[in-house]
Amino acid sequence: MTDERLERYAEIAVRVGANVQPGQEAFVNSLVEHAPVARALTRQAYRAGAAYVSVVYSDVHPHMHRAMLELAPDEALTYTPPWLKTLGESFDGQALLSTLGDPEPGLSAALDDERVGRAVMRDYMEIRHRQHNAHSVNWCGIGAPTAGWAQSIYGEPDVERLWNEIAFCMRLDEEDPVDAWRRHLDRLDARGEALTGLRPDALRYRGPGTDLTVGLLATARWRSARFRTAGGVEYVANMPTEEIFTTPDPRRAEGTIRSSMPLVHKGQLIRGLELTLRDGRIVGVDAEQGADVVRGHMETVENADRFGELALVTGESRVGQTGTTFFNTLFDENATCHIAYGAGLPYPFEGEPDPAMNVANVHVDFMVGGPDLEVDALLADGSAVPLIRNESWQLD
Amino acid sequence: MAAPVVTGERLERYAEVVVRVGANVQPGQEVFLYTNVEHAPLARALARQAYRAGASYVNVLHVDNHVRRAMIELGPDEALTYSPEWMKDFVRCAEGGAVIATTGDPEPELLADLDGERVGRARTLEANEIARRITSAKAVQWTVVASPGPGWAKQVFGEPDVERLWQQVAFCMRLDEDDPVGAWRQHLARLDARAAALNELRPDALLYRGPGTDLTVGLLPAARWVSVGFRTAGGTEYVANMPSEEIFTSPDPLRADGTVRSTLPLALGGQIVVGLELTLEGGRIVRVDAERGADVVRSEVATDDGASRLGELSLVTGDSRVGRSGTLFYDTLFDENATCHIAYGFGVPDAFDEDPGDDLNVSNVHTDFMVGGPELEVDALLSDESTVPLIRNEEWQLT
Repeated sequence: MTDERLERYAEIAVRVGANVQPGQEAFVNSLVEHAPVARALTRQAYRAGAAYVSVVYSDVHPHMHRAMLELAPDEALTYTPPWLKTLGESFDGQALLSTLGDPEPGLSAALDDERVGRAVMRDYMEIRHRQHNAHSVNWCGIGAPTAGWAQSIYGEPDVERLWNEIAFCMRLDEEDPVDAWRRHLDRLDARGEALTGLRPDALRYRGPGTDLTVGLLATARWRSARFRTAGGVEYVANMPTEEIFTTPDPRRAEGTIRSSMPLVHKGQLIRGLELTLRDGRIVGVDAEQGADVVRGHMETVENADRFGELALVTGESRVGQTGTTFFNTLFDENATCHIAYGAGLPYPFEGEPDPAMNVANVHVDFMVGGPDLEVDALLADGSAVPLIRNESWQLD
Repeated sequence: MAAPVVTGERLERYAEVVVRVGANVQPGQEVFLYTNVEHAPLARALARQAYRAGASYVNVLHVDNHVRRAMIELGPDEALTYSPEWMKDFVRCAEGGAVIATTGDPEPELLADLDGERVGRARTLEANEIARRITSAKAVQWTVVASPGPGWAKQVFGEPDVERLWQQVAFCMRLDEDDPVGAWRQHLARLDARAAALNELRPDALLYRGPGTDLTVGLLPAARWVSVGFRTAGGTEYVANMPSEEIFTSPDPLRADGTVRSTLPLALGGQIVVGLELTLEGGRIVRVDAERGADVVRSEVATDDGASRLGELSLVTGDSRVGRSGTLFYDTLFDENATCHIAYGFGVPDAFDEDPGDDLNVSNVHTDFMVGGPELEVDALLSDESTVPLIRNEEWQLT
């Protein structure tokens, strides 16, 4: 249980990711199957000086979720129990670590897609949105390898292989992973500053099945996932991370976009997603698989039909280098360029988010990058500046 | 994680008895599961059965003894007795709902190498206080049941024979009966009749005699003998422990004198207590001895004033299904139903019809230890100083 790699992994998540401060409370949101990782995070958080570590396994447990989806009354689908609201509120000023990685992919695949799409813990999500806006929590999401997750990737439950890939993505092979992460994030931030410096008015995506222009907000910067709380604690919200991202103008998006990788949302596989946008709104949803989940969001979640995030990732991404489709957004969104519909992210803004930022109770990332995707910045004077060609960054 | 996946009919049948008889979940009620993380397969079955019974929502809180270990080993002193707000709220939310908790320690020796004093001190004081208030107000249907797993099976049989443990648990839970729900109703009626006969005697005290034991414990006129077939203030019946073979009461916390020796080992705070011997004077435990694990008991007894006084007397006879299994389960839920037991610490609110006031011993701990066996003699002492035999040779004497 005190496997050295596991402790090293947890240490990076605690020290670089959430950056747990002495005297802070730490919260670990986890799944039952992730217990080994949750326990290691707990140990490392106490070693970092945490005053108390709460591990909560109940959040949106896939099996519990399935029992609820199948058997519970309608009202249960969007219900947040008061104690979970209290839990959410408790994150303010404290550290939060979440473990990700579906231990039983496809578990809810046989269920009513409409109910799956509708099951969103609304009040809890609102608390988390407020905290994102207030920059009040130093948080980090990391992967937790399991047999089920490995099975969905490799066709066999090769957990060791998954661990090796994750360790590579997490730079655990570096002699000093903490320093390697600092240099890596410096590089991404430099990229973000160069792009922000262009003051682009829009981004244009072109590729197979894709011809899309998305308007940008003058107030939103491009940046890495290295954030800082209002209280001044620096943290890395996702590990691994290879992206620079921004929050686009939800009122301006025209064209069509095709996803280039499958994505898994709440245990449901969505493959070959194609969206059509007009005046910033998603007006058409097609997919080879799982279209109903996306349509469920569009129909029942306010503002789910507008974009909340654009992210640029290039070919030197360690996640991309693995060549693996992880069927997990945390990893796959760092393999290649992606876009999210739903909630905008407050992080690109100095101070308060732009009033135009999209507000929604979902945020779903889908991957659009690949060798054939061309991304350009469109400037106010009508000129275009190439950003990505052949998965390489063009703006150095 | 290598949690054993026990699926299928037996698990669902078990969960159904727990939901329908134990917690007696009512349509529209919220359900609160409080289980070890290793007990997830049972928790999932309980969630399914609770929704089938009409639950409006099933909340689950998985506790993890490895997280607890990290806290005791690596956390600051203040963490030991801290209750996070969300945890207090989880307990508070259960008011008016149904609570199902599980036992069956996944790793019974997990905390054995830690400082016994810190292990004994580690408890979520404020959350426990809220739970006690809600239970005392009879504002919740609650039940405790077991979840078999390899760690527990290894402790019981010396090998991780989960299937064998499941069979024993199923036997104790009467799952072999055609109609387990009906069988449970009959069984509880028999225990209630036994309790009624003892209450009829209006005993002033109980006298225990056996090897290493000579103890007299005073009884309270206001406290009845009861089974675990309880009823909420709102009138919903529930069964607080499953299995259950006992009748029990809340004794006078001010009257207990003599010595008592435990007859079975006791799993406590991740440690095993063997050969526990308590000496009592004027209702108070004045001396704690044990062949093993005395420190964790001493630490518990020192938690608060009520911890050093008795909170429960319980009578179990040889026809107990747990006793007949012949198995030492190293789990209080089962072992206390194999044979007579006594608890120090918090009393039994359900033994009182009215507000018990000072009659109820109040404490943050409630620890049962087993005292029964073939050689134990239990007598009721009446107020005219006559004695009435209650148990001889593990048989009930009062028909």
